[in-house]
Amino acid sequence: MTHELLNGLSSAEIEQILKLGTRLIIPSGVSLFRLGDPADRLFLTERGRIKLTLPMQVRGREEDVFVEERSPGQTVGWSALIPPYRFTLTAAAALFEAEVIALPREALLHYFAANPAAGCKITLNLAVVIGHRLQLFQTMWLREMQRTVEVRSA
Amino acid sequence: MDMLLMGLCVGVSAVAFVALAFGAAMRSEPWNSTAPPPQLPLVKAVAPARFFSDRAPVPTVVPSVQVPIEVLLLQIENHVRLEQAAAESFLAFPSQALLHSKTTSPLVN
Repeated sequence: MTHELLNGLSSAEIEQILKLGTRLIIPSGVSLFRLGDPADRLFLTERGRIKLTLPMQVRGREEDVFVEERSPGQTVGWSALIPPYRFTLTAAAALFEAEVIALPREALLHYFAANPAAGCKITLNLAVVIGHRLQLFQTMWLREMQRTVEVRSA
Repeated sequence: MDMLLMGLCVGVSAVAFVALAFGAAMRSEPWNSTAPPPQLPLVKAVAPARFFSDRAPVPTVVPSVQVPIEVLLLQIENHVRLEQAAAESFLAFPSQALLHSKTTSPLVN
């Protein structure tokens, strides 16, 4: 399993990082974290899919609406490394149970301090993950704006 | 003489008939004068009957056909997936055409 967050690290470094974490099995539909929860761990997806949702009013009811899905190898919950350390989405295992490795923020920060080169690579990998999310949603936002403008000017 | 008696009898009978008729008429007159005039029951104006409401009639609005909420949520999810795929295509090969490419999402078509 290749994790996007651990790209460029040696096998020894990857092993050290994974030893910091705990494997969790998430049954289908069960939440890994909820919107607004304190974010003190980030997760590496090992198996299954993690569905990310946000609450939305649909016909007067609050519903968790699909935002995106994370596959094996992808990172979930990077709010654990970004202030104010609160999750901004709700994450749950999708149709089947999922397996993740939970990495505590404190343990990661200690490892980064002791291994700055590895910490720098992980931080750059995290920037790629966050940057891709930013570009993706920026594009989606612009497409929605375009439709809004077309509807208003029709 | 006979004619005179006959005329007298007819006259007396006529007077007696008129007197009886007058008496009968005078007896019924006080009932009418003392009795209060019949009062018709006050009937409140009744509005046309409406089911379950006394309010002014509301113009009938034909509700639009709504899909079940589960179907709507699936449509939203499908829409987001299609939009993400379109956005990924744009990010892989940025161009104005891909930025505004159309999807098959029922929410925007």
